[in-house]
Amino acid sequence: MLDIQKTLEDGAALFRLEGRLDTVTAPKLEKELRETMSGISRLTLDMEKLEYISSAGLRVLLTAQKTMNRQGEMKVAHVPEMILEIFEVTGFTEILTIE
Amino acid sequence: MVIKLNGRIDSNNAAAIEKEIMGQLGGQEGVPVVLDASALEYISSAGLRVLLRVRKACSGLRITGVCPEVYDILEMTGFTEMMDVEKAWRVVSVEGCEEIGRGANGTIYRIDQDNVVKVYNNADALDDIQHEREVAKLALILGIPTAISYDVVRVGESYGSVFELLNARSFSRILSAEPEKMDWCVKEYVDLLKKIHGTLVPAGKLPDMKETVLSWARFLQGELPGDAGDKLLALVEAVPHDDHMIHGDYHTKNVELQDDEVLLIDMDTLAVGHPVFELASMFNAYVGFSELDHEIVRKFQGFDFETSSAFWHKSLAAYLETECPTKIREVEDKARIIGYARLIRRAVRRNAMETETGRKEVAFWKAQLLGLLEKTDTLTFNLNELELEAAAENLEEVQAFVEERLERARCPAKDRMKICLAVEEIFINIAHYAYAPDKGKAVVRVEVSGDPVSVTITFVDHGIPYDPLAKTDPDILLDAEAREIGGLGIFLTKKIMDDVSYTYRDGQNILTLKKNL
Repeated sequence: MLDIQKTLEDGAALFRLEGRLDTVTAPKLEKELRETMSGISRLTLDMEKLEYISSAGLRVLLTAQKTMNRQGEMKVAHVPEMILEIFEVTGFTEILTIE
Repeated sequence: MVIKLNGRIDSNNAAAIEKEIMGQLGGQEGVPVVLDASALEYISSAGLRVLLRVRKACSGLRITGVCPEVYDILEMTGFTEMMDVEKAWRVVSVEGCEEIGRGANGTIYRIDQDNVVKVYNNADALDDIQHEREVAKLALILGIPTAISYDVVRVGESYGSVFELLNARSFSRILSAEPEKMDWCVKEYVDLLKKIHGTLVPAGKLPDMKETVLSWARFLQGELPGDAGDKLLALVEAVPHDDHMIHGDYHTKNVELQDDEVLLIDMDTLAVGHPVFELASMFNAYVGFSELDHEIVRKFQGFDFETSSAFWHKSLAAYLETECPTKIREVEDKARIIGYARLIRRAVRRNAMETETGRKEVAFWKAQLLGLLEKTDTLTFNLNELELEAAAENLEEVQAFVEERLERARCPAKDRMKICLAVEEIFINIAHYAYAPDKGKAVVRVEVSGDPVSVTITFVDHGIPYDPLAKTDPDILLDAEAREIGGLGIFLTKKIMDDVSYTYRDGQNILTLKKNL
């Protein structure tokens, strides 16, 4: 289960993610991002309530980062420790801007 | 020669009685003598000495019809071991008594506040009673809480054995009267079942249930079409011998709550064998017998079919320590195979084929059995193994199953999350590549072992040989633009597990994850 709360304001989008970002739920986030990203210059993913991430979720983050690199900036905020550890072992701490 | 004894034998009349008996013997020493004691009320030590001398004067002495008071004296003085003493049966009526249990061989009634009597169906039940007393004693010694009969009585033309059972209520009554206690009943019921199945029985003390089930399978060879009969027999033959106890008729009428203690009754079906045989009889008790006529279970247990099937499924889940529907169905299907085999044999032997209802039932059971036989390769099961279709939509079920096992092993949350993550990566890999574009099964096994504790997860599939570990790791130092989207899952798995290994053996991809806790 993944719950996504989306706020859009002046070309900036905030996604609050809650639950699990895995093989089952990653396509949902991918679709939401695709629909939102055209026309925004700032994207923030708030992970405070994200409990789990797998490689399927990492792939969505990487795709989003590549897109936002071309049109503005992307940040991930409030990353829980366990998810941060996954970012570290996969080198995502170097790719993502973590707040 | 039969000699009748009357009234009292004590020092006042012992000499006279001895003279009379010896007179009747009349020097025909060497003949067997039966003393009919049914009218004997009391015997003192002077009388006992008479018995000893009579015993010496004949070739074999038997005393019959001994009332409880006299029997006590003979037992205390050791006479019951020196000579053949037969008790007079107390006569008990069960008219108007509440029926509290019913099993294959008899019915249990409450005769007063403290006592119940089990009346045996078989008119010549003394051997059965003896058997049940012996197995109940054995069970008690091995640590199973049960009641042991203390008296044998006559009930009409049948025999009965009497047990003390104070303030006891069967689980059937509890479930009928207080359905909200379902979960409590399930827990206590399964705890006792696990205790029974965890009890090792010394060799030869109890019958082997496998032999009984083999006889059912042999009977069915003539009833099932094609090679289905052979398959059934082969499946039963392949069940490994097991010296653990099974009750054989484990349903809620045979489990009693006495004060705060849960007691097992109706022990005559006690046996040894694989738990699947027990589960088969449980399936029949709650579902099988009444699948086509739901009234049957209501009459028998007092609760309705919905309660009955709910209790069965909850108990099976608790027994298997899982909520995983695939796992529960797998084991239920194995139990159903043996259950239906028994129902068909029982019905055919009772001439069910002569009635419309009977034919309908047998046809239904046979159709179920044939369908199950087709998809079953073994009747055994492993609590820590889950087999299911390798498909992404089954991921949640796999992860939930693994998590249950990890939680039981008190695996810390942090490690649990990592193991679940690795399980996702590997399972999804199998789902996407092992059988594509076809479908196929995967087995996931969870083992917790060793000191220090480690968790091993094994994945087995029959797909194309493929070693996911052979792939080069992605370069994690590249920037976002240069990084490829794929190839992260296996890399991540290697990073968060302590060991990941792959082998291809007997047409199977076997991938093993290990995490030290």
